[in-house]
Formats: sequence, C-alpha cells, structure tokens
Amino acid sequence: MSAARTLSMRDALYEAPGPRTRRRVRIGTAVSAVVVLLAIAAVVRQFWVTGQLAPRYWSLFLQWTTWRFLGQGLLGTVAVALTAGAIALVLGLVLMLGRTSGVRPLAALCRVVTDFFRGVPSLLLIYFFFFVPAQLGLKLPSFWMLTLPVALAASGVLAEVFRAGVNAVPRGQVEAALSIGLSRGKTMRKIVLPQAVRYVIPSLIAQLVVVVKDTTVAYVVSYPDLMQNARVLITSYDALVSLYLVIAVIYILINYAINKASVAVANRTGVKIVR
Amino acid sequence: MSQEQAAEKNVPVIELRHVDKHYGDLHVLRDVSLSVARGEVVVIIGPSGSGKSTLCRTINRLETIDSGEILIEGEPLPQEGRELARMRSELGMVFQQFNLFAHMSILDNVTLGPREVLGQPKEEAEKYALELLARVGVAEQAHKVPAQLSGGQQQRAAIARSLAMRPKAMLFDEPTSALDPEMINEVLDVMVELVRGGMTMIVVTHEMGFARRVADRVVFMADGQIVEEGAPDDFFDHPRSQRARDFLDSIKGH
Amino acid sequence: MGLSELLSTYGEKYLQGLLATWSMTAVSFVFVMMLAVLVTVARVSPYRPLRVVGDLYVQVFRNIPGVALLIIIAYALPELRIVLDWRTCVIVTTILLGSAFGSENFMSGINTIGVGQIEAARSLGLTFTQIIRRVVIPQALRTTVLPMTNLLIAVMLTTALGSQVPLSPQELTGVVSYVNTRATGGILAFLVSALCYVGTAFVISLVGNRIDRKVRILR
Repeated sequence: MSAARTLSMRDALYEAPGPRTRRRVRIGTAVSAVVVLLAIAAVVRQFWVTGQLAPRYWSLFLQWTTWRFLGQGLLGTVAVALTAGAIALVLGLVLMLGRTSGVRPLAALCRVVTDFFRGVPSLLLIYFFFFVPAQLGLKLPSFWMLTLPVALAASGVLAEVFRAGVNAVPRGQVEAALSIGLSRGKTMRKIVLPQAVRYVIPSLIAQLVVVVKDTTVAYVVSYPDLMQNARVLITSYDALVSLYLVIAVIYILINYAINKASVAVANRTGVKIVR
Repeated sequence: MSQEQAAEKNVPVIELRHVDKHYGDLHVLRDVSLSVARGEVVVIIGPSGSGKSTLCRTINRLETIDSGEILIEGEPLPQEGRELARMRSELGMVFQQFNLFAHMSILDNVTLGPREVLGQPKEEAEKYALELLARVGVAEQAHKVPAQLSGGQQQRAAIARSLAMRPKAMLFDEPTSALDPEMINEVLDVMVELVRGGMTMIVVTHEMGFARRVADRVVFMADGQIVEEGAPDDFFDHPRSQRARDFLDSIKGH
Repeated sequence: MGLSELLSTYGEKYLQGLLATWSMTAVSFVFVMMLAVLVTVARVSPYRPLRVVGDLYVQVFRNIPGVALLIIIAYALPELRIVLDWRTCVIVTTILLGSAFGSENFMSGINTIGVGQIEAARSLGLTFTQIIRRVVIPQALRTTVLPMTNLLIAVMLTTALGSQVPLSPQELTGVVSYVNTRATGGILAFLVSALCYVGTAFVISLVGNRIDRKVRILR
C-alpha cells in the first residue's frame, strides 16, 4: 500500500502492465528512441553541413583566457543578481508590510506599486533607468542602471511571495497573540513574520532564477556580465553559434542549480515543520 | 443453461490460490488462499502491515501478484485491456479515502460508470443512481460536489457509485478508517443493509463489532499470511493462535 | 515633453505597439498551449525516451534567459541556415519559454488529482482512455486556470523581447526606446507603455479570476 502511495502521479496513470501492454511499451520505447536519435542526428548534421563543427569555432574553449574572461562576466552577473536580490528582498518586504498594514492609503499605494512592477516587463524598467536618469542629468553607473530595474521588477513578485507566506500562518496564532495583548506590529514582528519567512524561503530562492535571467540584458547598458562578455568574445573570435550555445548552457545550469537548491530547502524545512 | 447455472452456484465468486507478493524485500502476501462463495461475507482483520489491504486490492488487480492465481467466478483475472476492465466493472470497490471524483457532482460520480462502461442512457443511469443515493441516504446531496459532503456522506455516495454497476461482489478496503467516530455507524449501517440484500462481500476492517454481527467468516491475517479463519463467534471467543489472541487483546485495550 | 505633445507625435506608434504586443501575445499563447499539451503528453507517456526529452525540454526552456534564447534564434540559427523573420523569432522564443511553464502547470494540475481517483475509476471498469478523458483532463484543465492566466500575462511580458530586434511595427517596449532615442520622452514615455501592459494584465487576471471561480474544483 505504501509503495502505491509514493508513486508519482505520472506513473500512477498507468497500472502494472500485462504482457501485451509490456510488449506495446517496448515497441513504443524503441520507436521513440529511434525518432529522438534521428532528430539529434539531424541537428548534428545541420551543424556539420554549415561548418559550425569546425575546430576554429570551438578551439577557443580550450584557452584559459576565454574562461577567465567569461568567469569575470559571471562575477558581474553574480554581483548584479545578488545585489538586486537583496534590494528586492527588502523592498518586497516593505511593500508587503505596507499592503497588510491596515492603513488604507498606504495599503492602496503599496498594492498599486506591487501590481505595477509585476505587470511591466523588466526590459521596460531597464530602458527607464537607461534613459531617464541621463535625461535628468543624473550620471548612473551601468551597474546600477541594471541592478535597480532588476530589483524593482523582482520586488513586486517578492511582495506577493511574502504575502502568501503571511497568509499561510494560521489565523489562530494571530488571534492568540492579539488576545494576550500584543500590538499589531509586535504580532507581525514576533509571531507572523518569522514563520512566514520560513515558509517562503524556497520561493525566494526560486525567484533568484528570474533575477539572473533579467540580468542578461546587461548589454543594453554595457555592463560587463556573462552575456556581455560573451558578445565581446564573439566579435574577437567570430564564433557566434558556439559561444552563444555555451553561454546558454551555463545560464541553464546556474538556474537549474538554483531551482534544485530551492527544492532541497523546501524538502528540508518541510521535515522541520512536521516536527 | 440450467446445468451452467448450477455449476456457477458451486463455483466461488472470488478465489485466491497460493498468492504471493513482494514489495522489494518485503514479503507482503505469503501463499494466501481464500475462497468466497456467492452471498458470503468475509471480514479480514489483522494488525496494520499484515497485508490485508494488499490482499483486497489484488482481487481487482489494483495490485499485481508475483505468483498464484486469482479467479473470479472460476475465470482467471485478466491481466490487462478490456477484459480486465470488464471484470473490474463486475466487482465493486470501496476505498478508505472514498476517492470520489472531485470535479463531478455526486450524481455524476454515480452515473459515470454505468454510462461510460455499461453504455446506459443518461435517464436510465440517473434514475437508478437517485434510487441508490436514496437507499444510502444521500439523495439530497445528489447535486453537490464531494467536498461539500461529510466524510460519512462521501463514503456512502462511494458505495452507491459501486452499486450502480450492479456488481457480483463488493470489496471494502478499510471503509471506515478515515472517518470521524460519529460517522462510522452511518456507513456500517449501509453495509449491513447490503449484507441483508445477499451481497457477496470482502471487508477489510478494524470494526470488530461489525465483523461479529454480519460476517459469515472472519479471516485473521498477520505478516502476509492467513493465520486463522472461522465463524466470528468461534474466532472472537476462542481464537486458536497466539497471534490472534495477542491482536484481540491489543484491541480490547482501547 | 507633455502628454499631449507625446501622444500627438508618437500616439500612433504607441497604438501600433499595443496592437503588436497584443497580437504577438495572442499568437504565442495559442501555440504555447498546444505545445504545452504536446510536451506534457510526452512527459506522462509510458515511453522513456519521450519522457526524458520532455523533461529536458522543460528544464532547458524554464531556465534559459529569454534574451539568450532570442539571440540564439535570431542570430545563431541563420548561421545554421535557418532564417526566420524578426517577428517570428520573437514569437518562437516566447512560445518555447511559455510552453515549458505551461507544461509545468499541467503537470501540477495532474498531480493534484491523486492516485485514489485513478484507482476508483479503474475499479469501475473505465479504460485508460476513458480515465484520461473523463477524470484526468477535466481536472487538470480546471485546476490550471489561474496558473495559465498568470502564464498569459508572463507571455505578454516576454514579447517585450521584441525590443531587442528590429521589429516593424515595434511592440510597446521597443516603442519606448524608439521614442527616447529621438526625443526626451522622460517618465511619461515609459508610463504610456507601462500602463498599456498593466491595464492588459489587469483585464487578463480579471477574466481569469472570473473563469477560475466558475470552474474551480472544491477540495
């Protein structure tokens, strides 16, 4: 019984196969394997016939300097992502607190701001910081031209994440806290927030993926992140396809790792909550 | 024809012969043989982990077996396809967690099987469904969705859903274990009614009172084996094995 | 530049931008849904190679930055002799990204159903196809209304990638950068586009919430 309960849903859709079904699945597996292999072969062939597999496109990855330069870019990406993440964390928390403060005009304002940042593309915000401060005579370093819009875009989402966390705290606890004479603010600070934060840590980590993705338009403001440095390499090596593919894989792996970390933390804290 | 009918009378509705099953290293069913005659009510009891639920679920192949035979009216249980689906449609199954379809009204839950599997027209299926829902006492809930019903009501609706297929036998897998105490009796009452109506039943349960009252035979399982079986009064008053005595003592403690 | 001047000079550009954003969003979303269904079918199929490819597809397009994907499609594919026009590049990018998230939504919709209901359907004698048609798909669809509403908004925001290629007509974000490279648009130039996005998102979530309330499954 317990074994049946731990089945994932997609396996649960199928029952233990009989001999006929087993044969059919074997045939289907073989056919689909062939189809997949053919598709891969077609892709490789396209690379081959267009000369993209030529060593000159790939040999640069054997050079230490290539990786050092990309590594520098990656550091830029990490710097922006972490700074933007930290700002978004604070701003998101402030927006959520404002929205749940019970002070009507403040709540409305925070709601509008939250919905605004969630409802516009981060690219638009980046263009804003690229053009507007300059038009007002403000000279913003490219780091901040990138970090601020990314942070603002994330803060709207984080405000909602925090709010979901606050809502997940059982109402009885708030009532109990208020009934023993704690003020609203104290209840929030001492009872609700510590739990809410624990609930949402996995979501916060997952949100870092969005932040990392948003940083990739750094080239708009000429900030040297991973993508921008790749573009520099492309012009010097004339190896567009290989470089963009490698960069894409790096981004995918980073974000995959972040997602995995988020799931791992969720599982770990999940156990804690049960205890 | 009459010969066939006569033969059918003597053939057990459900028969397990030397059934074995493993979950990895765990031997959950060990050489289990069990035969249930038409109209017979067999109650399976035993400590948790004894394999009684698994046994119940193997009968309509929700769990597969490693070796042995399962016969339904003398026919081997099919392994797949339409034959298996047809055989299942003739056996009603009631689950611990009710398992009503969450997106359908109670009425649609009950008519889904008859309409999809038996090809009954809507009116006919609904007429019989309402009759059954009235019989189990949830007719007023017919147009609600499962989440709007209490656990007891859901389980009674689930029984009606199974009955709508006019099954040859009913399998109950701990039907009251997920219920609040005050709802257990309303479900047991429905089951007692079924027994009176002559339904062939296998019931996995912890309700000893129910077992004593309605069972033709009590089967006691432990560690994947049938340890002993007998008439309820014999079993409860004079258990032969030490395992059964220990089990009954542990329950009395409650 | 005041609002009236901005709108009299660039009003038509903004309108075209809004329509371009809307149409790219609509076209993308239709294909996002179709592809998401396809990918989900592959992921829940009993054939391992298809499952692996489906899972890989989702991991890749869930994690790749939109800009990186757009650049690959717009600038790397031509080197492989696959040339798409700019608008198609943006739409294909959006579809690939969106369908990965769409498939995740469907998967979690399927996961909420629970093994028990499948077993109950099986016990009634329903065949695999009947179970999929009458139990799995209706529930998966009805529980994914809200996530798909959010996905539609996300798809709209993703079409802003169009500002990174020479689209004609430009979409809302491209218009802003167009205006600003020609004039001092100031905050207003952004606000017009932003309000178009926010307004559209507002309407989408309004409709989505209404549908959700109608079809939501009580649990």
